[in-house]
Amino acid sequence: MAPVISINGFSYRYPDGTDGLYDISLDIAGGEKIALIGPNGSGKSTLLLAMGAFLHGHGSIVVDGVEANKKNAKQIRRAVGSVLQNPDEQLFMPTLLEDVAFGPLNMGLGDEEVLRRSMDALGIVGLDGMKHKAPHHLSAGQKRSAAIATILSMNPKIITMDEPDTSLDPRNRNNLTSLLKSLKQTLIIATCNIPFAAALCKRAVLIDSGKIIADGPVEEIITDEKLMQSHGLETAAIPESIDF
Amino acid sequence: MHHTVMDHLSMQDTFLHRLDARSKLIAVVVFTIVVISLRRTGVGIIAVSAVGPFAMLLVGRVPLKLAALQIGCLCPFIMIIAISSAFYDRSVVTIAFGAYELNTTQGAIGAVAIFARFAVTMMAIIALSATTRLSDLLAAFSSLGLPKILVMQIGLLYRYIFLIIDRACHMLGARAGRKLRYLGLRRELSTSAAMIASLFATSTQTAQRVSDAMMARGFDGTIRSLKKSTFSIADTVFLAAVCAYMALLLAVKGVI
Amino acid sequence: MHMPNEILSLPVAGGSFAIAAVGLGTLCRVASRTISSEKASLMGIFGAFIFAAQMLNLPLPFPPGASGHLTGAVLLAIVLGPAAASVVMTSVIIIQCLVFQDGGLLALGCNIINLAIVPSFAGHTIYHLIAGARKTKFRIYAASIIACIAATILSAALVSIETAISGVIAVPFVTFLAFMSGVHFVIGIFEGVITASVLAYIYRARGDLINGVAGGSPRLSKAAFIVTLAGATIIIAVSISLVASAKPDGLEWSLQQSTAVSSESIETSTPGPANGWTSLAAVAGSALTMIVIWLVSKIFANRGGGKCITP
Repeated sequence: MAPVISINGFSYRYPDGTDGLYDISLDIAGGEKIALIGPNGSGKSTLLLAMGAFLHGHGSIVVDGVEANKKNAKQIRRAVGSVLQNPDEQLFMPTLLEDVAFGPLNMGLGDEEVLRRSMDALGIVGLDGMKHKAPHHLSAGQKRSAAIATILSMNPKIITMDEPDTSLDPRNRNNLTSLLKSLKQTLIIATCNIPFAAALCKRAVLIDSGKIIADGPVEEIITDEKLMQSHGLETAAIPESIDF
Repeated sequence: MHHTVMDHLSMQDTFLHRLDARSKLIAVVVFTIVVISLRRTGVGIIAVSAVGPFAMLLVGRVPLKLAALQIGCLCPFIMIIAISSAFYDRSVVTIAFGAYELNTTQGAIGAVAIFARFAVTMMAIIALSATTRLSDLLAAFSSLGLPKILVMQIGLLYRYIFLIIDRACHMLGARAGRKLRYLGLRRELSTSAAMIASLFATSTQTAQRVSDAMMARGFDGTIRSLKKSTFSIADTVFLAAVCAYMALLLAVKGVI
Repeated sequence: MHMPNEILSLPVAGGSFAIAAVGLGTLCRVASRTISSEKASLMGIFGAFIFAAQMLNLPLPFPPGASGHLTGAVLLAIVLGPAAASVVMTSVIIIQCLVFQDGGLLALGCNIINLAIVPSFAGHTIYHLIAGARKTKFRIYAASIIACIAATILSAALVSIETAISGVIAVPFVTFLAFMSGVHFVIGIFEGVITASVLAYIYRARGDLINGVAGGSPRLSKAAFIVTLAGATIIIAVSISLVASAKPDGLEWSLQQSTAVSSESIETSTPGPANGWTSLAAVAGSALTMIVIWLVSKIFANRGGGKCITP
């Protein structure tokens, strides 16, 4: 299967001169669920931003056959839905429905289609009964789901998520895992929660200091004690089967 | 904080809450215009005009104590003006109330009338904001023709008040925890300035990420919104009642 | 100073509303042109920032227990440019009116002119005239303090003028103007010092913020400021001459001398005994109605109708 994202020798340097990413090459196939693991400040979020055409460096990133550069940014963002780390920053409209409708409206769809897509997206994350609520009335778990719904309503091929498991209690995290498992889109998830990554993804990419350290099946990487500890991460057992 | 109380009240479910925001907004604006145009100083007309907003407060289940407190909190400026006004107009007049007659000054009556009107229009606006969610008011604004960029600004402002005021409160708590006495104006000033500046910096970062979230969803500067109309029979009934009440006020204006 | 409805007459409220609407419409267009779509969120969040900054009060040495806070229009104008700052301050004023009930609904037009548009443009222009290109610490302080004093006094003067034209309250124009300007002179110094400290901090620690954000060329707004200043001067001159012609010494000008109002107030100042009975009836009837509504609402409340949608 042809890769939906193909990154070739991509490097990025921050405006203040520090290296963000160095010579990243990565192919991601359609429908894959990938965990980007690494310690804080390793460059995971930067790589996600680059995939969403929010920052531009050297080398190439091709998303769904389109080169990710400033000119194609709008087209890239139709293919890649980015869920940011803090749902409070993702949910900026007065009500949930308006928030979920924001993306489809910007895509130029008609009101009926926008409403249908929004309600579908809210249905998938189980928030269709709360469409008129203001974001500050939602719980942490609901906010996380709502943030995902705002992207789902745009129906992107690829969804990137930055630390979606932070500030969630175990039950909410399990709900999130089952929700993400049920999605058919290509998922790229940056996280430093190894059990969460193991429960969700088949492939893991370990990043540290802006470089890819390891790339392979999740069980091989996360059980390699020496590798994990040298990059400030913990090992985890592979769950036999996960009950939801 | 007052905004969380109002926000909470506006989430109730009563006849008033279910009305379209536009009809409530129009009703309160028209009511305020009528009350302000009653230049007469009679107490009777002010009492009659208090009935409407009072009824709105009760129907909308707004605690009367809250309304009274809010009127009390915001009255100092108008009080100063009203009271000083009384000093400048000392023409003696006789007022009659029932069988009682009282000699007082024109200015004193004027002061009482200004304050009474203030309380009445305050009741009306409290009733409006406590029974209407801000998101509905915003939708009303944009359908009444407010510039979209302004409507969006107000929406973002209200959305992020809850977040940023929380941060400010944490800072105030941190300052109170480490500072045990008054430090002198110079150091107090530099502490306050540093707090405001740091709040400014975090607000800028938040704004940057919100902007990323908007861009990620195809925002290009054009603000688009779903059309919605919730005008119902209840709204017609309500507006008819408001019209009748205004007609009554204007009719009795010359009499009492 | 948020104006309440009750010190304005309807023509003044309507007129200022129309002026504010036209001005704001233009400014919204200017702001959406000069502020890129990436900065749209910045304006909204700066509005929330202004709210929060107003909460961070500064304890003052005198009088005991007193504290002051920033109002922010000049700070915003320096950072965002005058057009965007006007739009942000307008959204702050609308939220203060609707959510905090501070400032009357009919006075919105006046409040937007006095507290959003005029201080933004005046503050921005004066600041840049004085601060110049090379911003030393001294210049930042001097420019902010002078800009804030000018902006707040201009607002205060507008409040007095609007009140005088309305003619609802009996306080003489000159007295009111002197009182308002005096109070706002002190407020302006205070506002200026905080604005300067914040600006100095931002220039030092986060210089990228201001340079990256600021929009609107000072030259354009200098023209706008001169127009505003000319307008304000004409208004002040006309009102002072009106006052002076009504009563030569100007100070004893009161409601009675103002012809438009006096006819009505004289009418009300002669209520006969019959009028006394009707007003008693009106008060009694209204009170009775309110008690009945209150009782009915209590009965309904006890039947458990009042459900909150949210916890």
